[in-house]
Amino acid sequence: MVKQMEERHSVWIRFCHWVNMISITLLILTGYYIHAPHTFRLFSNMDTPRTLHFAMAYLLCFGVLIRVYYAIVAKDTKNIVFSVKEDTPKFPSMIKYYLFMADSHPYYGKYNPGQKMMYTGWLVMVLIQIITGFILYKPNMFMALGGFLGGYMAVRLIHYIVTWLFVLSVLAHVYLDISEGVPVLKSMFTGKIPADFDHGTHEEEIETDTGVGA
Amino acid sequence: MPTKLSRRDFVRLCAGSAAAISMTGFLAPYMSEAVAAGAPPVIWIQGASCTGCSISLLNTVHPDIKKVLTEVISLRYHPNIMAAAGDLAMQEMFKVAEENKGNFFLVVEGAVPTGADGLYCTVGEEDGHHITFEKLVTTIGKKSKAILSFGTCSAFGGIPATPPNPTNCKAVDQVVKDVPVINVPGCPPHPDWMVGTIAHVLLYGIPEMDTFGRPKMFFSNIIHDNCERRQYFDNGIFAKTFGEPGCMLELGCKGPIAHCDASTRLFNGGVNWCVKSGGVCIGCTEPQFPAWPMYERMAEMPVGPATTVTVDQVGIVLGGLAVAGIGGHLVGNIATGRIGSKKEDVEKEGDS
Repeated sequence: MVKQMEERHSVWIRFCHWVNMISITLLILTGYYIHAPHTFRLFSNMDTPRTLHFAMAYLLCFGVLIRVYYAIVAKDTKNIVFSVKEDTPKFPSMIKYYLFMADSHPYYGKYNPGQKMMYTGWLVMVLIQIITGFILYKPNMFMALGGFLGGYMAVRLIHYIVTWLFVLSVLAHVYLDISEGVPVLKSMFTGKIPADFDHGTHEEEIETDTGVGA
Repeated sequence: MPTKLSRRDFVRLCAGSAAAISMTGFLAPYMSEAVAAGAPPVIWIQGASCTGCSISLLNTVHPDIKKVLTEVISLRYHPNIMAAAGDLAMQEMFKVAEENKGNFFLVVEGAVPTGADGLYCTVGEEDGHHITFEKLVTTIGKKSKAILSFGTCSAFGGIPATPPNPTNCKAVDQVVKDVPVINVPGCPPHPDWMVGTIAHVLLYGIPEMDTFGRPKMFFSNIIHDNCERRQYFDNGIFAKTFGEPGCMLELGCKGPIAHCDASTRLFNGGVNWCVKSGGVCIGCTEPQFPAWPMYERMAEMPVGPATTVTVDQVGIVLGGLAVAGIGGHLVGNIATGRIGSKKEDVEKEGDS
């Protein structure tokens, strides 16, 4: 039987996702070597990781630029941008679902509020990384900005802390998406998801079927 | 001003002069000529400082400092090396400042203590009342053509202004606002930076400066880019202890964020410099110096009163929590049957 499939991720979303995934992964690995070359012996010299780090930094800039442009043009922003007013009230039901206090969760749209918060947070974090990264990459060109942020030492600290946030949030992202089912992971490659995939219960269904208030 | 050396050549000379050429020696005739033709006098005053910058100036070897002070620079007041003292000297300083109003250069060494109305640093007497350094810098500084802040203390606050800073020390450009201030930081600054900056203001006026007011001819290079141990860095060879060959990044070297040309100019008349003598660069020409750990790769984060942790510790703890959370959730997922046996009977609409 051929499964009924429906479109979930456009080719541009998939392209940006994997480009950014590759660049962020390499940035974290090379960045950690640059930070602690003696402890984190992934490379044999400093040239390769630095070249890679700078190349991947530019790749990430373009990847994020394309993703933001796409989100605006394709009206994808409503799917991924966290809105405090609309998405915060949806949190309790999502947390209940994740803590096994509820069997299902209401239908949130393409992404649940936690995902929206994470993806919006990533945009902020990426911007912080790009700004602090370029201050450290071109210390003479962005001297004033570096001074404004508290000097190069403070900039380095910010750059490093946000890297850790990336490591931790990517960990959660990978787990939560895989745990929702292989089709979710597959959809990031093929762009399609089975039409009968459980995206959450619609509010009217909850009221009639289970009686759990939304 | 009569000079045969063009400004372009001068800056090129300053920026490019390595240990092999004596910049001061080359400049001396031009500067003597300018001084003989009536170049502005220079007054040197000291506040919250260790006199290290003056000592460094005395290290000018070609020509010797005596010639620099008597023939090259028209230095009218210097607390350490002038013979006069007390009221006589103070009166002379005020007289020079008054006579050359708007046409002399004030060199300030040391930060300006502003706590307790500046009483933490008094530098002399006038009519039986002591003069605080804050008042002296303000009154004399306003009359000067430009202020040259020599040393990190006067340029950025430096050691006296580092927290907790009980004397509320400030950099000169935070105290005197309406006069151009040229910052020549360093702990201490190289004599060439000081003499070269004086030469530039005497011969050509205010030099081109970067964001933090440092003359670009001396402070536009990153130490790390011209370090003699750079090859170790590129090849991934890092020293674990002092005295080992290798890049000293992991020992806390601030070379990648420090702007100056000490690595090519070398101190003590072109003999040695920080890294060549086996020490790390402590970034003494940067505005945040010395409010960072000198021998640590990265500063620690204060998380509470008298408690600091490294970012790595926080990250590892949070990472552990995340892994534990994920593990717990995975167990829950399997226990409730969300992973594994899919509930086939549930038919829910999914649209996206």
